Amino acid sequence: MNSRTPYAFTGNANASTLLDGRLEVVHAGIDAVAEAARATGAAVTLVDFEPPSGGEPRRMALLGELLSGAHVHEIDAANARALARLLASRPHLVGVGVARDVIPGMADDLFLHAGPPVSWERMCGPMRGAVIGGLLHEGRAKSVEEATRLAAAGAVRFDPCHHHDAVGPMAGLVTPSMPVFVVEDRGGERPGTRTFCTLNEGLGKVLRYGAFSEEVLSRLDYMRDELAPVLAAALALRGPIDLKHLMAQALQMGDEGHNRNRAGTSLFFRELAPAIVRATEDREKAARVLEFVNGNDHFFLNLSMPMGKCMLKAAEGEPLSSLVTVMARNGTDFGIQVSSMPGRWFTGPAQMVRGLYFPGRTAADANPDIGDSAITETAGFGGFAMGAAPAIVQFVGGSAEDALAATRAMRRITVGANNGFAIPALGFAGTPTGIDLRLVEERNLLPQINTGIAHREPGVGQVGAGLVNPPWEAFHAALEAFAEHVRAAAPPPGA
Amino acid sequence: MSTLVLVRSGCYQDSARLMQVSRELAAVAGVSEAVAMMGTETNRRLLAESGFPAAELAKATPLDMVVALRAESPAALDSVQVALDRLLAGRGEGASSGPAAAAKGPGTVTEALEAHPEANLVSVAVPGPYAAFVAQRALDAGRSVFLFSDNVSSADEVALKRRAAGLGLLVMGPDCGTAILSGVGLGFANRVERGPVGIVGASGTGIQELSCLLDRRGIGVSHAIGTGSRDLSEAVDGAMTEAGLALLARDPETTCVLLVAKHPAASVARRLHGVLARLGKPVAVRYLGEIARGDVEGVFYAGSLDEAAEKAAAWAGAQALPAATTTAGTGRRAEGDPEQGESRLVGLFGGGSLAAEARCVLAAHGVETVVPDVMLTAHSPLPPGNLVVDTGDDAYTVGRPHPMVDQTVRCSLIRAAGADLSVRVLLLDLVLGDGAHPDPAPEIVQNVVAARAARAGRPLSVVVSVCGSRRDPQGTRRQEEVLRQGGLHVASSAALAAGEAAALLPLVREEVAR
Repeated sequence: MNSRTPYAFTGNANASTLLDGRLEVVHAGIDAVAEAARATGAAVTLVDFEPPSGGEPRRMALLGELLSGAHVHEIDAANARALARLLASRPHLVGVGVARDVIPGMADDLFLHAGPPVSWERMCGPMRGAVIGGLLHEGRAKSVEEATRLAAAGAVRFDPCHHHDAVGPMAGLVTPSMPVFVVEDRGGERPGTRTFCTLNEGLGKVLRYGAFSEEVLSRLDYMRDELAPVLAAALALRGPIDLKHLMAQALQMGDEGHNRNRAGTSLFFRELAPAIVRATEDREKAARVLEFVNGNDHFFLNLSMPMGKCMLKAAEGEPLSSLVTVMARNGTDFGIQVSSMPGRWFTGPAQMVRGLYFPGRTAADANPDIGDSAITETAGFGGFAMGAAPAIVQFVGGSAEDALAATRAMRRITVGANNGFAIPALGFAGTPTGIDLRLVEERNLLPQINTGIAHREPGVGQVGAGLVNPPWEAFHAALEAFAEHVRAAAPPPGA
Repeated sequence: MSTLVLVRSGCYQDSARLMQVSRELAAVAGVSEAVAMMGTETNRRLLAESGFPAAELAKATPLDMVVALRAESPAALDSVQVALDRLLAGRGEGASSGPAAAAKGPGTVTEALEAHPEANLVSVAVPGPYAAFVAQRALDAGRSVFLFSDNVSSADEVALKRRAAGLGLLVMGPDCGTAILSGVGLGFANRVERGPVGIVGASGTGIQELSCLLDRRGIGVSHAIGTGSRDLSEAVDGAMTEAGLALLARDPETTCVLLVAKHPAASVARRLHGVLARLGKPVAVRYLGEIARGDVEGVFYAGSLDEAAEKAAAWAGAQALPAATTTAGTGRRAEGDPEQGESRLVGLFGGGSLAAEARCVLAAHGVETVVPDVMLTAHSPLPPGNLVVDTGDDAYTVGRPHPMVDQTVRCSLIRAAGADLSVRVLLLDLVLGDGAHPDPAPEIVQNVVAARAARAGRPLSVVVSVCGSRRDPQGTRRQEEVLRQGGLHVASSAALAAGEAAALLPLVREEVAR
């Protein structure tokens, strides 16, 4: 008997269209092979082919399985749910508190830092500088030498901000007495979710870039002793502020929410100024606070970041989702997390930033990529909203068209768009949102991150700003773990 | 001699481009060898084995372009670096760091189909290791695939075809050189009229030869569905041959069907016979290398492509050709040379199936041929015996385009064969059509003339078959005219050419004996 028919050709209409007299071709690979089709009258679209997933055969096989295997529909549905929850969240600024009082798990001997876990021994210069500054600021050390000795001796424990629902720009240092913004989800499917971020110090010599001079420390004191209490009182008087609402407006006023926050800061100032005046008896004090906010174009960054974190917390924990929910750097490693595997870091070496430098500074001064601020790109703005920010296009090549192309490119690796964050110059298209690990690998395209550049030595500060990508290692590791996770979580029928 | 390995990271180039880079760098003064490859593990191993520093090679990934160079002096290596920069800059790379500069066509098949939802076929000619991945994405999107790429594993081929069959889609390939669908050619294809004959083929040049033979008879082709060279293997089990036949059986334009393939597995041939016998339309089969079996339960098993084409032409209503042109032409007597002892034939083919067809016809004429087990080169003596070589075989095309596109290797072998005075008959093919060399005849003639000139008056008979249609861009008639004027015998099919060559050989031998 030889009646086996391993291939049941269903013979439905799909292939028949080829014989119906109309042929339109998409061609990938050597161009000459498509010559015949063009010469005989078919429309041919050429694909600009690049090998997927770094061209590594085993990883391509895993990726292929995740793109069209037994579980593709479940993965797609999980991503759609995770994205829907991200989009439905409504982060509000609800208060200003002290880190030790409001951040879950915060303790007197605990310092939080940006990025994935890192020991003192492996910390980069600016991160060490921030730790030294933090020890001085907390009064635990009287000198830089003492602070260095204490840090090396393990006098304080280190933990990533992300392990405590917090985010911090650059070094991202959070010490117990620091004031923090409290952001809370006031909508969506997970109302009450809270995220945290310190208040932005401004530019120049600042702790987050690893500076710890007297100027830096006295500013931190001012922020703790006057700025934070005044803002807290004003906020209590005015009530919670809808951060997505501010962000949506800021995107239409030339911000992208990461490297440019001038519009967001202005809008925040307008929102809160009357309440600051009303809540503060001392007019000079009120004026100083208003001047501080007004004088720092990046004040809103420390609100756009916990907003992004709050949105991504909503997307976390979807069992088969391949959405990226964290991208963060500690200046040594770059780490990402994936919705379906919350809390698990996938890391690779932090990359050098392709940047523009302050006068007198060069790439030789630069530290590798650092900070939790890539949460903005992860949440669908920052570098992903470059097309909204023509004022800073010098970072992406110099023309407004480059900025639009940068945003369009990110749409290639995202599951959807955030229609709440519309970009006028792109016909009010929403910002690309929800990075799909699979698409990054398939399209051989890494997320584009806007970022500042810290000096590599402790105590110096910012030297420039520019663009950076995550290391491929982090995505490759995440892909392999996700494939394993899918196999374990959803075994094929019959297994 | 200095060596140098350059690694350009994130600089993916297709193989055609890599060949061009290799060629242009090799032309730089003082450079003795230049190889541009993508940094896949296989390629890196290859280069390391050729003596390039492994430590340098280890830095490259499959997405990085590796340029390995040997030069007489370090100075030559410097000028190569400059030349490479210029070459790559010419493509617009490195001109601007901005993504707008990099914005090109869609980066994946998936995205191209999103932008062009009306596209119904995805054509894939990417390097083998990536081909199955790309083809799977086409199937994800519900599109049939023309898979030109080779070096795809049999397991991947089975997986692709199994899935395609379940979706009612075609995967034509891997290693599919030719198809014609609704008048549109894919890969290497001749411009033939639309007509009543449907073709299914596991052989690219087999399809081309059939469509051109029909064209010479004024009969058109409805569709020619390629299946890839391994479709009739045991593992693949004729999956796409069967799918293609099913489509043609239902196609109203198709009134009769031709099937061509090389060496089917016996079990597959048996199973397909059942399919063919129940097709509901007249069908003729040419299994290359097999002898004629005639009509078997309504399925006509032809002994040559010519016979199969003739059968289909008759079904389609063409008048029978006068007998003289369907049989091997009478060989002209080659000029005698009593000094020379041995007289043999060398066949140098661009079309693999045409080489197979020639071997079969030669055998039928009592000329035994050997397939040399070493690759022929212009520098080493030819192995003994009557040789028939497919210069499109993998061994001859590593890092080079197919001989139907680039005749360099074949022409060097024509000269080498000419230089061997024991070779008295040269058998060639010339495949025209889209995708092929734009004007191949003059180069062939030039090299035949050079070969003859090197023989000190000892004659060399050259027979060439031309596979071309009346509308092919090279001008079939003009190409044939150039060949004739160059003193070549021109035949209208590989089988006829082989027959003619076979007839020439004993005449030559006779003369030698006298």
